[in-house]
Amino acid sequence: MASSYREGDKLPTVERLITQERIQRYAEASGDFNPIHIDPGFAALSQFGGTIAHGMLIAALVSEAMAVGFTRDWVETGRLKLRFRAPVKPGDRVATFGKVKRVREADGGSEIVCSVGVSKPDGESAVTGEAVVRART
Amino acid sequence: MALDYASLEPGQSISNTEFEVDVSLVSAYVDAVGDESGIFDPDDSPSLVPPMAIAAQSLKTVLDELAIQPGTLHAGQEIEFTKAVEVGERLSCRATVGQNSVRGDWRFLVVEISTGNASGQGVMSGKSTLMVPVAAS
Repeated sequence: MASSYREGDKLPTVERLITQERIQRYAEASGDFNPIHIDPGFAALSQFGGTIAHGMLIAALVSEAMAVGFTRDWVETGRLKLRFRAPVKPGDRVATFGKVKRVREADGGSEIVCSVGVSKPDGESAVTGEAVVRART
Repeated sequence: MALDYASLEPGQSISNTEFEVDVSLVSAYVDAVGDESGIFDPDDSPSLVPPMAIAAQSLKTVLDELAIQPGTLHAGQEIEFTKAVEVGERLSCRATVGQNSVRGDWRFLVVEISTGNASGQGVMSGKSTLMVPVAAS
């Protein structure tokens, strides 16, 4: 699919309410039952004071935004480099953000480099990073 | 017996396992993350697997093999998708230690993951940075 994205363009936004129920379902789907995510008693004694969402659950929202923007090109050529900067807690409504940083010709298409991330209700970035996708012409 | 994390050396194999991305796994994943892209409907035929579901399942094999300790945090993630995967495919995942170091109260384990399909083609590679409490490692 040809991409019409240009430098400076904003990427699609994905918003999601992160609930403890969603975190539990993600634990079951991913097999990651670390108590920091699902055991309120354990998590209360941690530096976070309560459970936090899996980083990969929040990262999935960035991938979803890229899939909306680039469909199959993302699935077949996407690259993602993320840092998990701040915890997302149950009750947080988070939103992805992203912008095209560079577009360059590459192998019969274009390589699109984007800055991406996920913000929390207070504006703090839970995740920041870079996504790269090769869009075919 | 608890795993001695200090003994893990760069290049050391952590896991070499196989898993199938079947309908139930994909359905549970799409439901858990709340994916609304419309691209990954498990009822489509053929149906694409969300690439982050492959990443999550691949990471699970690592967490299982490392018997990862409660309170472990996911600090960063790099992923590259190289081929679309359809529901029902069987994938193999190999993981090795990338780096193993201690800073303050945390052990930083970098795990390199490579996942391929039944034809031997790579579908995903990645690098996960895990922070394991030194007290537990």
